[in-house]
Amino acid sequence: MTSVNATFGEVAAERRIASAPLSHVSIELGHLYMEDFEAGPERLREQFRRVAPWAGTVRSSWQDRIPGGRARVSTCFLIDDYFSKFSTPAELVPMVLDAAADCDLTIDYIARESACAESDGIELARLVEDRLVNDPPPDTNGSRPPVKESGWLCNGARSPQVGTVQAMGKANRWAPPLQNAKRGHSIFVDVELWDENGGKRTWSCPFLAAVWQLLRLGLLRTDGRLPLRPVMREDAFPDDWESLPAVMQLNPAAAPFSAYTTLSVLSPRFLPVELAVRTILSQVAVDGDVLKQVVARSGGEGIRLEEELVDRISYVFT
Amino acid sequence: MLIFAISDKGGTGRSVTSTNIVYRHALQGNDVCYLDFDFGSPTAGAIFSVGSVARGTTRKGLHDYLLSEVAPEPHRVDVWTESDREGLRTKPPGAGRLVLFPGNEGGGELPAVDEEALRRCVQLFSRLDEEFDLVMVDVSAGRSFTAEMVLQATVRLPSVPFRWLVFHRWTRQHILAADGLVNGADGLLDVGTRFGHDRDKLRDRIRFVRTAVLEPDAAELVGLRDEQRAWLFACDTELRELASRHKVGRTAMLGKIPLDPILQWREQLISDEDVLASKIANAETAAAFDDLAKKIVDDAAWEGL
Amino acid sequence: MLVMGEVHTGLLQNSGEIPESTCRDVLQLLSGERVRVSRRPIVYAVSPDLLTGVDCRLPSASQSRIRGAGTVLSRSSITGGRVVQGSSHTRIERSGSDRRQPWSHYLARPGVVEALGKAKPRDLADGFAEEPSADGLDLGAISARFMDVVQSSPLLDRRAPFKIARTRLRWVAEPGEPAIHFTLHSDQMRTVRLVHTGEFTPAVVDLCEDLALHDWLLTALLVIIERARIGGTPGPEAAAKLAPAVDHLLHLWMPSARVDDLLSPYWESLDRRPGFTRQWQSLVDRVRDQLAVHTLAFLREKSGGGAR
Repeated sequence: MTSVNATFGEVAAERRIASAPLSHVSIELGHLYMEDFEAGPERLREQFRRVAPWAGTVRSSWQDRIPGGRARVSTCFLIDDYFSKFSTPAELVPMVLDAAADCDLTIDYIARESACAESDGIELARLVEDRLVNDPPPDTNGSRPPVKESGWLCNGARSPQVGTVQAMGKANRWAPPLQNAKRGHSIFVDVELWDENGGKRTWSCPFLAAVWQLLRLGLLRTDGRLPLRPVMREDAFPDDWESLPAVMQLNPAAAPFSAYTTLSVLSPRFLPVELAVRTILSQVAVDGDVLKQVVARSGGEGIRLEEELVDRISYVFT
Repeated sequence: MLIFAISDKGGTGRSVTSTNIVYRHALQGNDVCYLDFDFGSPTAGAIFSVGSVARGTTRKGLHDYLLSEVAPEPHRVDVWTESDREGLRTKPPGAGRLVLFPGNEGGGELPAVDEEALRRCVQLFSRLDEEFDLVMVDVSAGRSFTAEMVLQATVRLPSVPFRWLVFHRWTRQHILAADGLVNGADGLLDVGTRFGHDRDKLRDRIRFVRTAVLEPDAAELVGLRDEQRAWLFACDTELRELASRHKVGRTAMLGKIPLDPILQWREQLISDEDVLASKIANAETAAAFDDLAKKIVDDAAWEGL
Repeated sequence: MLVMGEVHTGLLQNSGEIPESTCRDVLQLLSGERVRVSRRPIVYAVSPDLLTGVDCRLPSASQSRIRGAGTVLSRSSITGGRVVQGSSHTRIERSGSDRRQPWSHYLARPGVVEALGKAKPRDLADGFAEEPSADGLDLGAISARFMDVVQSSPLLDRRAPFKIARTRLRWVAEPGEPAIHFTLHSDQMRTVRLVHTGEFTPAVVDLCEDLALHDWLLTALLVIIERARIGGTPGPEAAAKLAPAVDHLLHLWMPSARVDDLLSPYWESLDRRPGFTRQWQSLVDRVRDQLAVHTLAFLREKSGGGAR
């Protein structure tokens, strides 16, 4: 008898990863606090007027990079409905869209910030928190679990606790905190990820912004599936924020929401927030299979992506 | 099962008794280990006659495991191979493993219970419970951060059975102190309850062991004058009353260890050879250890009071 | 350059074996990631891979101070609802630079530790197989924690049928002429040095975990037989002490069940010498014979008693 080559597969034993449709770049056309909305349409127009030239520059630079100029560029706008709720989607969204249109900007997608915490029963923030792999200070050899201050994340080693370790032993003296991989001197950053009040957790603004970036990069999966897909707009916008989809597609002809790279055009007052976002994102372990998938896709298009995901994110502070 | 050995005061014979109990328990065919949590004075190695760790280990001991930056696997001493006593160096047929975890030479008492040390303590107990039938933890004397730590650790290990042995001598002062350590303000029951133990259930897991007991009818007393013997008898009766008034009486007692001259001179394991061949130890002492080694795991001896 | 790993294996802290569904719940270590389960020829459930960051000395036989930074890949698994493993490994590669890079650089290479400075694969491999230094890379501690996370699950009753030590198997894999060396050190410590043709694949990790599993089974069975003191204790007592082996271990022996075809020659060569399966079979026969003898004695006693 000849030998038989048998194969046996078990569905539950295999891992399948959905792939996300991807643009070349996702441009965020600004981030506003509630008081900006309260200040009325003129404040919005002012913001969009500043953003418009930068968005145009990025769009044309990608068009130059892509053969035939067929760059896929999508724009998005995030509304904060997590820390404070203002007005209703029915009132606010048209005001934002009109102000953008006045500055020749098209908003392709509009998203709710609270969706970065939880949407459709999927706790995206939890998902990302579970994927934090702490940046280890020197002499971290695995013998003890990573030092974690509950709800905080830093880019180095915190000051040691002052005091004695055992009775009649030597006391620890104060020492400065240290940044890992510092260049000469430390820039030590310690970011609050969340706090809890009466058992209710509130995620911090930088943490939700980190989730937002990962969504825009199409790097999150839950059970191998995409955690959320944009929903096409209906004629009227709802009267409460919860009824607004997590990500709503406003322009039927828009390029995909997620992209190889992101650009955010923001006011300089967001600089500290974005430093915190980078601190968080440089410690998020994205699924290896997803990373490979994105690299393969972009490679197929002749685009060399930056290896480190923080390098796929860029900003204009204006 | 975890057994915590504590005493009201120093010098009760807590360490020598608890080491002899684990030794006997190993001879009875169980895998046992002994954790030297007497952090201020980690000298259990001397009792097991392991000279290299007589004053604690110079390698990674329990202090390092609980307190150091890197938490290395704590040093294990296999008593059956590393003891300096010829008679201990071969594992008797049918005996279980007998492993000592020494503290660090020069180590000191815990300064407080910190979360990290507590977490490692829980991890250690949990891992050893996987491996050993009995884990004896020598918690040192009196109220200490060590006692507080293990009380907290056992709250976090709800499915791991544990018991406490409180060692005391048979004197007025020791009886009062033992009662205070368990039932008094900030005693084991108070502190244990504060950290989440059920007071009554915890009480059911605590038993007293009387050490260096001189029975009025003991052979050693044969040479005494009648007056002396009468005085001793009266004293003993009075102590019994005192003990039962203070909940340290017979019902809460797991066993007693007779006074044995050999242990007054040298804290050591009492082997059958010491009793039968060299005859330096009393048969009653070895029998008392053997009995306790059985009783600590005998549920009937631990039924609710 | 080379891959090093350490697998810890032990008895699940539960009175009986646990069903597949409980395995899934116990191994759910990462939200949004499914526990993978295969059911043939034995139920095997494995947690998602998790990363641990390290920046420390790498092992070195020549005691050179070589710093490495990167991530270690770890996972927990349960075989047959009864045996737990915590497994970690990392691939050591030369760094393009002598400086520690920003952390995002290492997270872009999950499961890789980069050696900063001049590292020789042979020196690293020799160093790893020896007793590691206290401040050096400690894969064992990571694997032990991946076992702890299973063992301390509130879904387990912690009433294991017998007490048994965990075993530790430390392995190094290098490319070259195919070879495998399995060394038994102390009671709990084993090392495997494996040379594979071509590129390293995750199948090598599966092989090492499979070896660790079967070595533990063999070790556990030996311990149970030793405790039973066959011939030294009365028959019924010895039989009672052997019973847990029958109830919990004997059906778990399935060498090479999850091993890639390309790597099964490694198992086969170890099965020729020292002959794991041969030893296992002889121990199993011994246990079964003992129980048969005991049963016969019991029956004889019973029938003898009835005739009187």
